[in-house]
Amino acid sequence: MMDISLAAALTGLLAPLLAFALIMVLLRGRPHLCAGLSIAAVGLSLGSALLLLARHGASPNPLEYSVQWMVSGDLAVGAGVFLDPLSLLMMVVVALICLLVQIYSLGYMAGDPGLARYYGFMSLFAWAMLSLTLAPNLLQLYVFWELVGLSSYLLIGFWFEKYSATQAGKKAFVMTRLGDVAFLLGILLVLAHLGNLGIREMNTAAVAAAFEPSTLTVAILLIFGGIVGKSAQFPLLTWLPDAMEGPTPVSALLHSATMVAAGVYLFARLYPFFSLSPTAMAVCLAVGTISMLLAATMAMVTRDIKQVWAYSTISQLGFMLMGLASGSYFAGVFHLTTHAGFKALLFLCAGVFIHHFETNDMVAIGRAGGRRQLIPLVCMTLAAAALAGLPPLSGFFSKEAVMAALAAQPNPIWLGAGLLGAFLTAYYAFRLIFLIWFPDRVSAETAPENTDAHGHAHAQPRWQVLVMLVPLVVLALPTLGLGGLQTHLMSFLAAGLTGPEPVLPHLPWLPLTASGCALAGLILAWFEFGRRRAPRIGFAERSAFWRSLFAERWYIDRFYRALVDRVIDRGLARLCAGGDRHVIDGAVDGLGRGTVASGKAVSGLHRIMIQHRLGTMFAVIIFLALYFFI
Amino acid sequence: MHISPTAFPWLSSILFCCLGGLITILLLPGRRHQEIKWVSAFFSGLTLVLTLNLFLLYDQRVGGLQFVERVSWIPSLGITYFNGIDGFSLPMLLLSGIVFFTAVLTMWELEHRVKEFFALLFLLVTGVFGLFMSLDLFFIFVWYDVSLFPMYLLIAIWGSTRKEYGAMKLTLYLLAGSALILPGIVYLVVQSGLQTFDLTALMRADLFSPFEQKLGFFLFYIGFGILAGVWPFHTWSPVGHVAAPTAVSMVHAGVLMKIGAFGILRLGIFLCPLGWLYWAPLMALLATIGIVYGVFAGLRQTDIKYVIGYSSVSHMGIVGLGLATVSVEGLNGAVFQMFAHGIMTALFFSAVGYIYDRTHTKALDELGGLSHTMPVASGYLVIAALTGIGVPCLASFWAELTVFIASFRVYPLYATLAVAALVVSALFMLRVLQRTCYGPPNERLAHLGDVSLGLGLPRMILVAVILLFGLFPALMFELIQTASIPLLNGLPR
Repeated sequence: MMDISLAAALTGLLAPLLAFALIMVLLRGRPHLCAGLSIAAVGLSLGSALLLLARHGASPNPLEYSVQWMVSGDLAVGAGVFLDPLSLLMMVVVALICLLVQIYSLGYMAGDPGLARYYGFMSLFAWAMLSLTLAPNLLQLYVFWELVGLSSYLLIGFWFEKYSATQAGKKAFVMTRLGDVAFLLGILLVLAHLGNLGIREMNTAAVAAAFEPSTLTVAILLIFGGIVGKSAQFPLLTWLPDAMEGPTPVSALLHSATMVAAGVYLFARLYPFFSLSPTAMAVCLAVGTISMLLAATMAMVTRDIKQVWAYSTISQLGFMLMGLASGSYFAGVFHLTTHAGFKALLFLCAGVFIHHFETNDMVAIGRAGGRRQLIPLVCMTLAAAALAGLPPLSGFFSKEAVMAALAAQPNPIWLGAGLLGAFLTAYYAFRLIFLIWFPDRVSAETAPENTDAHGHAHAQPRWQVLVMLVPLVVLALPTLGLGGLQTHLMSFLAAGLTGPEPVLPHLPWLPLTASGCALAGLILAWFEFGRRRAPRIGFAERSAFWRSLFAERWYIDRFYRALVDRVIDRGLARLCAGGDRHVIDGAVDGLGRGTVASGKAVSGLHRIMIQHRLGTMFAVIIFLALYFFI
Repeated sequence: MHISPTAFPWLSSILFCCLGGLITILLLPGRRHQEIKWVSAFFSGLTLVLTLNLFLLYDQRVGGLQFVERVSWIPSLGITYFNGIDGFSLPMLLLSGIVFFTAVLTMWELEHRVKEFFALLFLLVTGVFGLFMSLDLFFIFVWYDVSLFPMYLLIAIWGSTRKEYGAMKLTLYLLAGSALILPGIVYLVVQSGLQTFDLTALMRADLFSPFEQKLGFFLFYIGFGILAGVWPFHTWSPVGHVAAPTAVSMVHAGVLMKIGAFGILRLGIFLCPLGWLYWAPLMALLATIGIVYGVFAGLRQTDIKYVIGYSSVSHMGIVGLGLATVSVEGLNGAVFQMFAHGIMTALFFSAVGYIYDRTHTKALDELGGLSHTMPVASGYLVIAALTGIGVPCLASFWAELTVFIASFRVYPLYATLAVAALVVSALFMLRVLQRTCYGPPNERLAHLGDVSLGLGLPRMILVAVILLFGLFPALMFELIQTASIPLLNGLPR
């Protein structure tokens, strides 16, 4: 029995690794084989994920298989798999979206000279992400946490001839690294007190006894630092919009649906541990709220279609954290699941437009006749409505769950922020949709037929169009229907949670209010961008102050730029390098010169005039006499 | 006299293999470059096979000293030819074998004074192997100097950027180190009153007074620490790395710096454990400064080899921090880091050497876009840089992790600083990649070919080793533990 599960889990995990190794070592010259291999591997992962879900979905007891990875003194690191409802759900989500995105990439990346490398990195990501999902202990999770960061770096900088892409990759890696340092310190702190990093061991109430309350808070906040980095929350949020320099399928997979959600997943994974410290939870709630609102404002002024979805990713991740931090495990995880579906869909649709019109500018896409791309546009509208939280789409249900959790908070400010967020979300999502559906003018029927920057011809073969459309339709299904599974999911997830899930008050006015806020946003967007005589300029864009504040990302980037330039490059680095050259080397070279000079002085004693030599002899004799006779 | 007839003298055979290579090269006429290279490859390959064989034959369940060979040499002074390996020296032997072989292969395109180059390289490596396996203080000192002396010529003749200055600086620094080590050895041998240079005999716990141990450890720490790149005695190392030719940089950063750390371990910690306990806080302080200082200084460099040089200072700081924790985990991490860092810098210098031989520049500003013209060659550079950043599943990650864990218990502040330095190290390594490998195609470099399979072989081996020990760290940790646990258990507290 158990063996089949273990074999399935191992197959699912190791197939992408094998694909990665084969692609990078042997098959780089045969891109189509690479693509096929990579897709087959991730398909195998999806198959085993579904098999595991079917076998263990109903079982209340989590399964854990571990072997020793490494032992060093008291420290033992295990490697293995941990199967409980949360990890199974996440595994299915990750494998499914990986598979769809890789199929979509067949069309999107067709003809790219780096296709083999692309699929290699995609397989690396799939392996790392799945291993992260199933990690039974925090160290394994950290290892793969770093590896998904690495694959993110490699994929953002995939078109390495573009300076902006390599710059964005570096920024993403370093900024998430900053969070990871906190995460690692948190792990070290937990290890020092607990001596164990098993997820199951950390999630027991007995853990609290091993810590001082303040130390526990510090440890939780340090681990949360890693979440802030990975999920691009305030203040480490600006790497994510830049990460859109990567190919669009990468954005869909890593930078919206799965990898950035790993932060939220970690929170959910350690939810009982996190809830031991109310202070830490309050901080998490505040960080989630701030990020949610900041990113929503940024999304209101940009015209870059991918940027809008990137900001909305940050914002929705903030929503998930708000749900978790306000005490509802289910709300956070549910929103994660629905978001993965509709956000991947949004990006894949955006990819179709970008691929076809060769621009990221939503206004230009609208003018060039974006609405003639009917299937992607309909899918994108659906997904945007889900994002906005309009019934009866999946996002409505999950966002409603988050709102209910917020409403249960004693302080009404969190609910207020949540409702404001819902309003802004609907506004910026439909601003984009309306600008494409209803452009102010449509240029003549000269759809561009030339080749684009990456050299693929635009008279695409039919199969390429098809492989890009099928994943859209598949992803539209959960966007439409996942909301109906709410109760199933709730009982499914509750089975894996050790602590009691707080019973949230049922507030009949809440769904109405929330969707009312969303509807208000939609209507405002209609007035500003949709109707025939709309000004097509948003309320936030009218004032120069707000526009530049939002477009400059609240000047967070400038702050980091200045920090790196002034403090690190021109401050500490110059200090150390200069210290090396002038102080340490200066002293050493001075010592060398001193040695040479003293050598000259000594040699002078017996080289020059005879009276000097006699004087030296005399002095030496005196000294010897003193030494021997006294 | 103690070589038992049944046991094959594996350790001495490594030395004889190096000497055999040296003599064969000297006998060959100097213009037969190909033959000299093949002979070098053969003998260095043979040493690699021998060290691998030791790695496989060493019985980890028994632990302790194995493959012991002992021949009395000067009985009146108590000097014996005494070799043996334990869990500390075996990784170093393996490291030396790998780096030596790959360094020889890396120099396949050398055309200038080929015979002298390989002869000196063999002499150098003989000293290195001898030092790692020797258990007699006299021989340790002799091997130390044997390994230092060829270095001057190798850098001064075959080097580049400011080679005379670099060679002279390096030699003077290391001689200053040996000027501290020799008094340390003589002092302890005389104080012991045993009339022997036998390390195992001198290791008896009650032999030296606390003061003698403190003094002895200090002399060894500074003396060998210079070679290990301990801050503030590190400035020879970036300069020396930059000036040295590729293979010498590889051996030098890969193996010679490890001799320093190994010397601290073998002489300082084994002979003067009380001194170790006494000086550990100072070691931790200097090591942490080195870690942080190295990454910041590296950030300002514009020569790619300088960048690697400073990252070495930082990485060797991690070794020092591990040793300073006085714990099993710390020692394990430190020795693993010595091994992992050796392989990593060898790969780094090897990859840079290939690029330098083609482009004739090491300046970051003049490179760029290499991934277009030589994707495989720059791929090796990328892997080396990622290992340097400490990406998981590559060897040095585990070493750094264990050191962090161990040091966090003893020195939480230093550990925090060392972990924070990871961000800066990522920043500067990725900058190097961005300026060398990435960017638009560089017209000046467009005609250059990518690395061929044969020339890529040394880098391939190094990458395979990094991945092997990165994916299966237990292979190395279990070996090191056989030495570190008894050492810590025998510690007077």
